[in-house]
Amino acid sequence: MDQQSLVSLLLILLTFALYIWISIYNRAKKTSDFYVASRGIPPFWNGMAIGGDWMSAASFIGMAGTVMMLGYDGLAYIMGWTGGYLLLTFLLAPQLRKYGRFTVPEFIGDRFDSNKARLIGAIATIIISFTYIIGQLSGSGVVIGRLLNIPSAWGVMIGVFIIAIYATLGGMKGVTWTQVAQYLILITAYIIPIVFMSLQFFGNPLPWLTYGNVVNELGAIDRELGLSEYFAPFDQGSQAQFLALLFTLMVGTASLPHVIVRFYTVTTMKAARWSGAWALLFIALLYLSAPAYAAFARFVIMNEVVGQPLDELPAWTEPWINTGLLEFADTAGDGTVSWEELYIDEDIVVMATPEIANLGLFVVGLVAAGAMAAALSTAGGLLITISSSFAHDIYYRLLRPDASDAKRLLAGRIAIFAATIAAGVIALDPPGVITQIIAWAFALAGGTFFPVLFLGVWWKRMNAQGAIAGMLGGLIATLSYIFLAMSGVQLFGIADTGAGVFGVIVNVILVIVVSLMTPPPSQKLQEEVHDLRYPEQMTYKDGEVWMNDGSDK
Amino acid sequence: MRKVEKAVADKYFKIRTTIVAVCLLIGFAVSFGVAIFAEPIHQSGVTIMGMPAHYYMGAQGSVVTFVILLFANAIISDRVDKKFGIDEKQNEQISGGASDH
Repeated sequence: MDQQSLVSLLLILLTFALYIWISIYNRAKKTSDFYVASRGIPPFWNGMAIGGDWMSAASFIGMAGTVMMLGYDGLAYIMGWTGGYLLLTFLLAPQLRKYGRFTVPEFIGDRFDSNKARLIGAIATIIISFTYIIGQLSGSGVVIGRLLNIPSAWGVMIGVFIIAIYATLGGMKGVTWTQVAQYLILITAYIIPIVFMSLQFFGNPLPWLTYGNVVNELGAIDRELGLSEYFAPFDQGSQAQFLALLFTLMVGTASLPHVIVRFYTVTTMKAARWSGAWALLFIALLYLSAPAYAAFARFVIMNEVVGQPLDELPAWTEPWINTGLLEFADTAGDGTVSWEELYIDEDIVVMATPEIANLGLFVVGLVAAGAMAAALSTAGGLLITISSSFAHDIYYRLLRPDASDAKRLLAGRIAIFAATIAAGVIALDPPGVITQIIAWAFALAGGTFFPVLFLGVWWKRMNAQGAIAGMLGGLIATLSYIFLAMSGVQLFGIADTGAGVFGVIVNVILVIVVSLMTPPPSQKLQEEVHDLRYPEQMTYKDGEVWMNDGSDK
Repeated sequence: MRKVEKAVADKYFKIRTTIVAVCLLIGFAVSFGVAIFAEPIHQSGVTIMGMPAHYYMGAQGSVVTFVILLFANAIISDRVDKKFGIDEKQNEQISGGASDH
């Protein structure tokens, strides 16, 4: 093992020890600890936990590379994954918080007073979260494997083992505080390399202000080489695909159950609004930095690699060529490298930047620990969500409503442990390209849940029949479009990653038409929805609004 | 418990809904709006902070706007709550009671 692997390994082990210590310290003692951290997390810290929960291995390792390769078209990811928090914080989170349940399927089941809707919600939650977690686990496997020069399967097993320990012990309470720590580690690791890049290029430590010039220069270089400009819009796909992908990512973000559940951990509607604001601020720090990574990395490649003789490439390229993530095919046979002859794996941009900027062993190790933190924090949140769907929605609410608190806690722990092992086994041999699987998870979440949650909190006339038809119709429409688009049948040039558009449209139509064709929900359910218009202190009862000022109870 | 006039309760809901609608409209304009007109903006050659305007809006402008909108919403909503005499301490107590569903 060389010096670099040793330093990276040491940093990763140190952070693992920290996570496990935090979850032992915050052990869950009752079910409300386990699922919603007793609803006592302050908005600032919950925002940070949402940041850790949200930013996955794909955001950390992959996004900068995607923007670098796709140029303007890659920005759909930046806007979609941040814009989703607008929909979530404005349209869903405060109302769902006031409704006061443990999980998304529980809201659906109780709002529509239907166990059938609850079961569909629980199964869809499990499918979406499970798809997502496979991506995280194989991502962490790739990181560990590449750094320590061991097969990535070993990496997956190490990651699974760590997550299983701390999620099982701490539940939501432990996961919340480990996510806060993981956020701090991953954001530091992400920002340090580009701060140094910006200093080296411009003598200014704020990359967000300086990379604009690089973007402009990249356009000039592309024009000179006869390529289409880096910032030219819709170069890689149609405009319709760009808009469809943007829409799918936004609604998907707003309806991912593992994100929504984080808003259940705060005290009030007001706290939910502030959580959303803090969360997006913390998330934006990373998403604003990704295009800077992309610009700097592309600039270095254009200047130091493209046009160079094959035997005079910079030293940092060698380890990446050896792993096959960077390849040259000298098809022109002129002994030099051109952009078209270059194959660059999108995942290397963030990992290679500290080496390009010569930042030394510690920073390279820190980036590795940051990538692990991103994968583990998301996986932790997903596991809690899967476990609560099984243990709370299916076991407690449907099968054994009389189960004691201790039994429910045990069921939750068993579910989390089993889900970790199952996801780990599948992640050893993932069923497709990771980024694609994750894009499907967004389409499925948006197509199945968004209209049902949105109309469920804003439209009291919506009933169980509408919800069931909407969820099933949206799920089927999304899945069918994914398969159709994969086999080459595309509407308006929209690819499988933009399938959420069709899912949401079908879902909304079904919810409205079916709800109006069937009897309205009971008076009590309608009042409960009306009640969501006001803060906790105001309650709606029998057509009148009451203010609880503590005068008499 | 005291009764709240229907007009007052409706006004509260209307103000909150207006905030939501305005913020979402701005949010859509800076993301979808700019993406719809990306080609004409690109051709016009306008730049913001050294990069083409459509690229800037996708990479920074929209994200920064989203963050500002969320904080504006949180601050304005707090003011609205205060104007309607909502006491956050009471809110916490009430929702705390509902924590063991």
